[in-house]
Amino acid sequence: MTYRIGIDIGGTFTDFAMIDDATGALSFDKILTTPKDPSLAVMEGLRRLLDTTGVSISQVVSIIHGSTLVTNAVIERKGAPTGMLVTAGFRDVLNIALERRYDLYDLRMTLPEPIIDRECRAEIHERLAEDGSVLSPLDLREVEKAVQALIDEHAITALAVCFLHSFSNPSHEQEAAAHITDLFPELYVTYSADVLPFMREYERWNTAAVNAYVRPLVDRYLGRLEGSLADLGFNGAFFIMTSSGGTVTSDIARRYPVRMLESGPAAGVLMAADVGRRVGVSDLLSFDMGGTTAKGSIVRGGLPRKKYEIEVARVHEYQTGSGLPVKIPVIDMIEIGAGGGGIAELDDRGLLRVGPRSAGADPGPACYGRGGENATLSDANLTLGYYDADTFLGGTMRLDRAASERAIRSRVASKLDLDLARAAWGIHETINEDVARAFRVHASDIGFDYRRCSMVAFGGSGPAHAARIARKLRVPKVIYPRGSGVMSAIGMLVSPLSFQLARSNRVALTALTAEAFAEYFAGLQGEAEKVLFPRTENRPNLTVRRSLDMRYQGQGYELEVVLPENETPQMLFDSLPGKFAAAYRDIFSLSYLDEPIEILNWKVEVIGPSPVAADSAVTDGTSGRAAPRATRQAYFPEKGYVECPVYDRYLMSAGDYVDGPAFVEERESTCVLGYGDRATIDHHGNLVAEIGGLS
Amino acid sequence: MSTERSFDAVSLGILWDRLISVTNEIVQALVRTSFSTIARENYDLSCVLFDAKGRSIAQGTMSVPVFIGTAPQTMRHMLDAIPPESLKPGDVILTNDIWMGTGHLWDLNVMQPAFKDGRIVGFAMSISHLPDIGGRGFSTLNENMYEEGLQIPITRIVRAGEPNVELIELIRKNVRVSEQVIGDLMANIAATDVGCRQLVEFMDDYGIDDLVPLADAIIEQSEAAMRQSIAAVPDGVYRNEIKVEAFNEAVTLACAVQISGDRLMVDFEGTGPMVPFAINVPLCYTKAMAAYAIKALILPHVPNNAGSVTPVEVKAPAGCILNAVAPAATGARFMVGHFIAPLIFGAIAKVMPERVQADSGMTNIMNVIGRNPKGQEFTTLFFSAGGFGAMAGLDGLATTPSPSNMMVMPTETWEVLTGIRVLSRTLRADSGGAGEFRGGLGQEIAMRNDTRHALTVYAMGARTVFPALGSRDGKPGALRSYRVNGKDVQAQGRYDLKPGDHLHLLEAGGGGYGDPALRDRSAIAADIERGFVTLDAAKRDYGYVPVTPAH
Repeated sequence: MTYRIGIDIGGTFTDFAMIDDATGALSFDKILTTPKDPSLAVMEGLRRLLDTTGVSISQVVSIIHGSTLVTNAVIERKGAPTGMLVTAGFRDVLNIALERRYDLYDLRMTLPEPIIDRECRAEIHERLAEDGSVLSPLDLREVEKAVQALIDEHAITALAVCFLHSFSNPSHEQEAAAHITDLFPELYVTYSADVLPFMREYERWNTAAVNAYVRPLVDRYLGRLEGSLADLGFNGAFFIMTSSGGTVTSDIARRYPVRMLESGPAAGVLMAADVGRRVGVSDLLSFDMGGTTAKGSIVRGGLPRKKYEIEVARVHEYQTGSGLPVKIPVIDMIEIGAGGGGIAELDDRGLLRVGPRSAGADPGPACYGRGGENATLSDANLTLGYYDADTFLGGTMRLDRAASERAIRSRVASKLDLDLARAAWGIHETINEDVARAFRVHASDIGFDYRRCSMVAFGGSGPAHAARIARKLRVPKVIYPRGSGVMSAIGMLVSPLSFQLARSNRVALTALTAEAFAEYFAGLQGEAEKVLFPRTENRPNLTVRRSLDMRYQGQGYELEVVLPENETPQMLFDSLPGKFAAAYRDIFSLSYLDEPIEILNWKVEVIGPSPVAADSAVTDGTSGRAAPRATRQAYFPEKGYVECPVYDRYLMSAGDYVDGPAFVEERESTCVLGYGDRATIDHHGNLVAEIGGLS
Repeated sequence: MSTERSFDAVSLGILWDRLISVTNEIVQALVRTSFSTIARENYDLSCVLFDAKGRSIAQGTMSVPVFIGTAPQTMRHMLDAIPPESLKPGDVILTNDIWMGTGHLWDLNVMQPAFKDGRIVGFAMSISHLPDIGGRGFSTLNENMYEEGLQIPITRIVRAGEPNVELIELIRKNVRVSEQVIGDLMANIAATDVGCRQLVEFMDDYGIDDLVPLADAIIEQSEAAMRQSIAAVPDGVYRNEIKVEAFNEAVTLACAVQISGDRLMVDFEGTGPMVPFAINVPLCYTKAMAAYAIKALILPHVPNNAGSVTPVEVKAPAGCILNAVAPAATGARFMVGHFIAPLIFGAIAKVMPERVQADSGMTNIMNVIGRNPKGQEFTTLFFSAGGFGAMAGLDGLATTPSPSNMMVMPTETWEVLTGIRVLSRTLRADSGGAGEFRGGLGQEIAMRNDTRHALTVYAMGARTVFPALGSRDGKPGALRSYRVNGKDVQAQGRYDLKPGDHLHLLEAGGGGYGDPALRDRSAIAADIERGFVTLDAAKRDYGYVPVTPAH
């Protein structure tokens, strides 16, 4: 018997999920995160999970780990004293940044401080032209002196080497980095072309700076954790979850820690894709909603969508442009400042707004009874009867309904001249609209028709809103998987080893031959394989995914064209114009242009075999209408307050169904079904709702 | 749905936000399909939705401020010229008329009616700045509008789905980089397509047959919110006067902001006359900029629509530089027009000093025309920002555009596009005005013509004579200057650079806020450590006495 364990460190909880490879049976646990040394909670929770399940550590063949360590280090500025070498004349790239205001009307707008202080940046007199040719050679003695000075004056322990046009020719960065590593072996050195060689110096250098800044910290943390695991007797494989939905060995994570950003949410999307695969749905919306945010992602053809930029340390959490841009492969997610703690208030127009201000955990929503006076989404859901004051979080936390009603009356209802129920419904519905709107915009951005797809809903608050949001989007089916509160940890169990490389190399299609095309990709592929499997022996069968960013020459916005996996280079090359035109049409519903096409960025992802686990079978039940555990009064806009049945998900078997309006409760979440919706337990243990009138 | 339906605060908010989101989708479509860097990198564009009466009801959130005010006026002119009864599905109207559009020829205004069940239910408009419009090129040097380029009256560019090929060819024949210009024109048409489709889909989703009652509610609510905020400002007449450079002369801009109850009027009486350079400002632009400045001060986050601009009345005597008349040249209207924001800020500072920002260094714009080393023709804009003005409690940001929003072109992208070498780009120490809160730093940029071809640069910089002033005893920021091969030159002229010639830009700093003597000593020490302020300047401007290290 072998087991695999996924461990996801979040802001509040560290989640565990363990799968029995033979039966597919899952076990979960949750433990409070220990922010000072997150490895403490990891080890404590791991011991507890093994104890309660009676599994021995020697039976655990792999542990997959995701963590918010990198994000937190950047937000809290807990990284190492870091230096930077830059092309002479460009010391201030990190300060000058994008020269852009993310809010035209906010004169008090602020931006995050650069990740590396200005006094820790030294200029090196080297220079490449835009085609990569050398204008001024690199002088290694100058590099040496500059680094020595940064160590002497600023005690740096990490360094980012960032030169102009290194995306086109990395040799100066490489030579400098190699020389520094020889001379100062204890220094953690990152160079920008190694992290992700895209054009645009600010974003590339900032990415290298973040990577350098967190490397010592991540190295120490992973070292400590691996030591503790070894002490516990673990001798399986240890993998780290990345933002792109794949895992890497800890060696790679230590070299590219910046790729660990947002890995938890990425694993959640991966899990949603896997749930879809098991039930035969390849196009879906992944919807994850917790205490402070909602995250949405689109899965097309079974694959989550990728993008290549995220922002960290935003000054305004949900305002694009207010953070530090980082270029890494990430699963494309929309984030909405809408969670259970989202505060309802009046905006500048005098109308209702919910979030992005959040009441957090302390004092939290009014219903927590900890002195919070703000009316939050959780207060609205309680007032509407969607949550049960006594069974919230499995009954471990009693909610104060009177406090919720007071807060909604005083903060919303009286100000907007609404009655209590309408105000509470307004709060609930505003969030539904916000989420639906965000999905719509995102889908139209990428030319995705969601009207025939399914939604996979999870997170503490997701199941309470999903059915209604799906109805707005005319999505006919919502799947609520088991373990809604630990989906990221489960997702890590289905993540394959993978590594993606991308490079800017602008070339017109007409100037390219099939041979040159194949050769360029082969080179990139070779590099990616070498990162993932440094030794050539015993390499498993690898899947290779290639994609290109292409555009009409002169057009500024490139489209990612994903190339099919099993075509010869000649076939691929010949079909490029057609594939680009098709992708263009998908998004813009027109392709009137007769302009030449060019390639901008080349991307290769090398993927190991997917971990395979048996699907846990769910025993057939009575295959009929489930029996409610209780009823309670709840508000639905069609009928007002009605007596509504409450079902216990743990008592339902495959084939059991319930008709809305109804609630299906599990420990960490409540599924709210409206009029016309019917939800059935399927053979995988999922609760699957057909949205009334849409199926 | 009945037309009498009223909206409670919940449904109004939901419908309204959805409409704004539709405009953001149009903006995205426009950015993605645009060919010129101006639209896609600089967001010099806007998209607006109107109801069937032609009133603006929602606008994309990322827009330069000027379009916020001009689009409704453009819409009115379009419907006057081509009555809605004569519009058919698939008709698309356009114009770049200076006086009916945005105030210069380079902005293309494209509009399309949205039909639902055979009736017009609204309109979508998309506006973007073209890379070229023929004539002598985008600069301050044109003396009248005929020199500036092609004027396209209000015309159908698409008639019932059929493109007006003759007009497209006429445009193509008259402009430089025609593939970019035509590409951007098509992008605007595509964007209005998306807008109309989305608008009708929105109405279907919510069972709305007639947008007018919703538009009424949106406009009333916005207007009421604006009026309430205006009423909170003490009544009075607040005046300000500043000098703005116009080549080797100075022009006076004057304003009186009159507040009585919930009404606000800005009168530019006392402003100097038009000049024979392309820096004259048509009234449509003046109105838009004034509305932006007022809104940023009193109620920044009420969405833009007909209601949010109605309470602000704007007047300027015909023939003054803020109400230019034909055939004045207006291409670089922002050179003077951008000063409307600090002019009004300065007036309002008298009654709300804590809300007002000290002057900003503002954005410098160059129009650069040439060929890159591969021989490809380019005409493109180079933006570089000065420092942001300080405010109560807040140092000014370095290198931040004001009042309009632009975005820098990365050095790497710039060199790939043009082959013009950027030798350095650094913050300018001591350029931020001293104050209890320091003005933002400007920057210094050195370039060399490595294109192997001759290069023409049209400079459009201000603040070379009149600096960004401080507020409440704060000191002014450093002046801007242009240098060609080491010599100071006029910041508003034309320069032909031979291969190997050098160009040097020193961007202006923002003004400081409050008495420098009150600045926190540790903030001064940090500024010195970072190199934002030199030790000498700290001693001189702040009376700073360095602390001797303890060890």
